[in-house]
Amino acid sequence: MRIELKREGGVAFIPGLNRPRLFNLADLPPAQAEAITRSVQAASFFERPARVGTASKGAADQTRYTLTIEEGGRRHSVQLLEPVEDASLRALLDLLKQVERTAARAPPNTVNR
Amino acid sequence: MFHPRGHHRHSLHCILPPYLLRSVAQNGTGPQRAAALHTAAVDSTFRSLRFASTQTAQRAPSRIISGMMAESQCHRSIYDLQGQETFPGTLARSEGQGATGDVAVDEAYDGLGATYDLLWEVYGRNSIDDSGMRLNAHVHYGTNYDNAFWDGQRMVFGDGGGDLFNRFTIAIDIIGHELAHGMTEDEGPLVYFRQAGALNESMSDVFGSLVKQKFLNQTADKADWLIGAGLLADGVQGKALRSMKAPGTAYDDPVLGKDPQPGHMRDFVRTWEDNGGVHINSGIPNRAFFLLATQLGGYAWEKAGHIWYEALRDTRLRPDCGFARFARVTLMAAARLYGEGGAEDTAVRDAWNQVGIPVTREKVSVAFIPPQQGVPASKPSRRPNA
Repeated sequence: MRIELKREGGVAFIPGLNRPRLFNLADLPPAQAEAITRSVQAASFFERPARVGTASKGAADQTRYTLTIEEGGRRHSVQLLEPVEDASLRALLDLLKQVERTAARAPPNTVNR
Repeated sequence: MFHPRGHHRHSLHCILPPYLLRSVAQNGTGPQRAAALHTAAVDSTFRSLRFASTQTAQRAPSRIISGMMAESQCHRSIYDLQGQETFPGTLARSEGQGATGDVAVDEAYDGLGATYDLLWEVYGRNSIDDSGMRLNAHVHYGTNYDNAFWDGQRMVFGDGGGDLFNRFTIAIDIIGHELAHGMTEDEGPLVYFRQAGALNESMSDVFGSLVKQKFLNQTADKADWLIGAGLLADGVQGKALRSMKAPGTAYDDPVLGKDPQPGHMRDFVRTWEDNGGVHINSGIPNRAFFLLATQLGGYAWEKAGHIWYEALRDTRLRPDCGFARFARVTLMAAARLYGEGGAEDTAVRDAWNQVGIPVTREKVSVAFIPPQQGVPASKPSRRPNA
């Protein structure tokens, strides 16, 4: 399974943080990969619509996440606008952010940045 | 306190602006009452401008009631989300309560207060909707969350991960920035896309910076004109998120990249990202405001701030307003407030010229700025019937 996490928006446009993050589950520690797989299933990711959450009138500076997951020949993208109210999608997003952070501190090649 | 200049412009909907009513009620003398009445009587340009809009006229009745209230009340509520992302969280501090010792809670409380005070004391505006809207902030959003946002009703602040960003309440101008989004929505609105969106962002930076400058009692030449100073964590190569004085110079870091803001139209960035570059091209009107404020000298929230505030409230500021139209509206606001051909009028023109937007007042009435291509099909949000 390959996952791409792309951020857009926020109180500033920061070019370095705007690049998509790629997670290849095969490169992650088995426990993390397993947790992500379970979370993708729990969130019924492949059945989700392309957009989750709509901006309220006058809202500004919210982050928009685009999650793209490839698995077994299928590929699906979901755009999430924060705050992400759906608990299972939020859990998946949190997990990926956590992996991103641990990877940032670990030696390269666990996550392609 | 009675406004020293006597010709201070204020909300049309007030027969007397709230701060005048308050001060007259408390300290009014005969001459002050007369001056206040005179101010109200001569200030007709703004009335006709605003009543020209049916939307505004519809809103007027409820506003008159709020404007007649002699006391302004700041109503702050700070909620602690305790790392969760579900609202509202726990009420941690409400209006009048003392410091909690939680630095994010207390910074949010003080930042909301400083923003309220700027709007009330300088612009006679009662909260972000000018009708005493309660100010709600939610802190400790998520874990290691690197952002602050306005969701249309409330401000939300993350603690930052500590590796790139500190807590987002650390910068009082960011608090002002988020609240100003609420004010722009109420007065504009300005569609959050392309040039109008960049103006929306710039308006938030302008008033966010003014909140900070007034809080620190800084004149324009003493202010740092940075947005989000203190927000970047130790080790990050940069000083803030943006610089109004020198857009594009706020940071240059291996992880964050380089500040992408232009300060001149020749460097305008065309992009589909960031809602069409709303946080990027805002550098251009930001710098125009900086140039105006430093040219005029003194406190930026006085003349320069009043010109921008009146431009924001001008009914000719359409939701899809581009930079050129906005520049003309500011020029007309300067002439209305301080007279045609005066130093302010000239300074506004010079400021826009220096960022590559030549502007003349005469062109305003005849200019047709076509709507931007590619604006989303959704209609601009409706003016609240508050």
